[in-house]
Amino acid sequence: MTEALAAPRSHFGRPENTRRTLVLFLGPCVLYLLIFAIYPLVHSLRLSFTDLTAAAGTGRFVGLENYRFLFSDPQFWNAAMNSAIMVGLGVTIQVVAGVALAMFFNLNLRGAWIVRGILILPMLMTPIVVGVMWRALLNPDWGLVDWAITSIGLSPPDWLGSVRMAIVTLVLVDSWQWTPFVFMIVFARLQALPQDVFEAAEVDGAGPWTTFRRITLPMLMPAIVFAAVFRAVDAFRAFDLIYGLSYGGPARGTTTLAFFAFQNGFQFQNYGYAAAVAYAMLIVLAVGTTVLFRFLSLRRGLT
Amino acid sequence: MRLDATRRDLLRGLTALGVGAGFGAGLGAGFGAGPAFAQDFDWKKYAGTKIGILMTGDENDHRALADLLPEFFEQTGIEMEITSPALGALIEKTLQNLQAEQSSYELINYLGFLTTQQVGAGYFEQLNKWIEDPAHTPAEWDFADFLPPAMANVGTFDMASGTVGEGSDVFGIPGLHSGSVIYFYRKDLFEAKGLKPATTWDEFRAAAEALHSDEVAGCSFIGANDFSLAAVDWFTRFITTGGKLMDGSPKTKDFMPRITSAEAVGALQMMIDLLPYAPENVTRYGFAENVDGFSTGKIAQMVFWSTIAGPIFNEENSLVADKTGTGKVPAAPGQVARAIQGGWGVGIPANADPAKKDAAWLALLWVTSKRYNDYAMETYQIDASRISTYENPDLVAKLPYLPDSLSASMTAEAIATSHVPEFFQLNDIMNVEFNAALLGTQDAAAACAKVQSQWEDVLRKGGHLA
Repeated sequence: MTEALAAPRSHFGRPENTRRTLVLFLGPCVLYLLIFAIYPLVHSLRLSFTDLTAAAGTGRFVGLENYRFLFSDPQFWNAAMNSAIMVGLGVTIQVVAGVALAMFFNLNLRGAWIVRGILILPMLMTPIVVGVMWRALLNPDWGLVDWAITSIGLSPPDWLGSVRMAIVTLVLVDSWQWTPFVFMIVFARLQALPQDVFEAAEVDGAGPWTTFRRITLPMLMPAIVFAAVFRAVDAFRAFDLIYGLSYGGPARGTTTLAFFAFQNGFQFQNYGYAAAVAYAMLIVLAVGTTVLFRFLSLRRGLT
Repeated sequence: MRLDATRRDLLRGLTALGVGAGFGAGLGAGFGAGPAFAQDFDWKKYAGTKIGILMTGDENDHRALADLLPEFFEQTGIEMEITSPALGALIEKTLQNLQAEQSSYELINYLGFLTTQQVGAGYFEQLNKWIEDPAHTPAEWDFADFLPPAMANVGTFDMASGTVGEGSDVFGIPGLHSGSVIYFYRKDLFEAKGLKPATTWDEFRAAAEALHSDEVAGCSFIGANDFSLAAVDWFTRFITTGGKLMDGSPKTKDFMPRITSAEAVGALQMMIDLLPYAPENVTRYGFAENVDGFSTGKIAQMVFWSTIAGPIFNEENSLVADKTGTGKVPAAPGQVARAIQGGWGVGIPANADPAKKDAAWLALLWVTSKRYNDYAMETYQIDASRISTYENPDLVAKLPYLPDSLSASMTAEAIATSHVPEFFQLNDIMNVEFNAALLGTQDAAAACAKVQSQWEDVLRKGGHLA
């Protein structure tokens, strides 16, 4: 009985050895997280409650003042709207185009592997390079795209010169770069789907559209949702592409929340306010991803 | 000692006369001629010391300095390491260093627009004790040779009133470059139409209209959401039509913008009215687009930073090198032709290693010397901070625009918003709203009203406006 009540022996020997092992294996990870994740998060949270600017070396505690100002700041809401467009429109285009490409390449046409390889090249480029490259391509005076459009007798849109068009251009460039990512995820899932379901559907007389809508799409849904969530988070945080492509302009037509936080922090040195913007983004992201992943789990359950 | 007293007295006397740190060139010549001890100056006294300079990497200054580092080392025996990030990172890094217990850099380069923020906060060492000591400063360095407006913009600061350009206390030396705005025009096109270079804004517009064609835009300007939209194009038109940017002072918390004034709206309207004669995509034109456009012969005239004269007069890069003329910026009748004061200052952080401060001063002398200024101007066409560089006959023969650059630099006006740390934020607001006006989404009056309202909010938040 005494022996039964004694502490169970672990794989690593005595209990004190277990603790040592835990410290040994988990310690570095915990330390890493404390230094590089928890401390910056806590520090920036503290900053968001101060009025720290470059001029005032030590920030005064202002409570929720930055957050109050933020929610009444039209520039913040303009940036939030641009971020919403970038996420909503961008991810929709990327998912639709990515799924379409995956379906197309699933036909296993001859030589498709070469095209597939080329297709994923954009996502291998860094977004800042993509931004600068497209800014040059879309230059109205000497850009290749406008030249090509003009040479076939059409009039090119004012890609980055019009407030309304610029955000669309940003979404299109983002989609150019990241549709291949959605394609890869969906295509991998598509390749792994069990073929007997499709054979049964064929025997039952289901046409291509019905098969896609009733069988393929539901079975692809976990991959699609995963890719969409991943892309939504990435698009929401996008900064470098905007920095290279439009620098938030014209006017504030492409200023997203990430760019707005950058401007306040690194151009205007309003560190407290920039931290509040960053925390507002963090909260939106945390809530958004939790909701979307709940949806992903639900779909897994259904499929 | 007598010499020291004379220098300080001169500074004070000139300040009392209302010229800030302005020591005229004529006065300076005598001042700089100096006693004979300069020839015996020991440049090697801090040999073996290693110092670091934090400076801008956005322009060519760091390249010019890097070119001269071997020469600097040979003459002083001091090893200098250059760190030159882009502006945003530079400001961040500068503030980190200035606020640290000890700065990692013995010399820091700061933008003139940030003098109040960085010098005014007490982060930089007062330099008078070195300037006035012949044991530390050879006469041939010639303190009086610096452009007075540049010195007023980055050098002198009155800590008691928190005002840049006042008093005789020097906290920074103009460098590694200075500069202002001049007028560029195509001589051949003007001559072909029998026109004279514009001296008024009405003449500027008339020339734009007369010269505009499918091949060449009658004029151009910064129309994009860019720093220089407000700072160069709008501000030049504004002050040369009698505009006054601010009333009151940040110190007395009555620093009130005047962006809804007739001159402010008029300056923006003047740009809107020029749109038909500007390049089709001028609302996307920033610095590079205008330089490219002018160099490739697609623009007939514009006012711009004088620093672009180098590439425009360089036959290797420009199609219009021999067809370009320069002059003062246009102004309304009765107004003085002038524009914004640009440029940088160099100082010694107050928290730099005390053991290296004397060596840092020696290095500061070197990087702001005539030698550096002449080299940077000749090799990279970097606008100098010294009068003598603009007047150097060899350089003038090679770079014919230098007299106009000097004239612009001598009359340049520091923008009043640089007196508050929120300068960049205020500038950004103006650029955004004016860009929107040029795009046609609002008129000039509405844009100016929005700027006024947003500026007031920012100034109130910053405690500069009650």
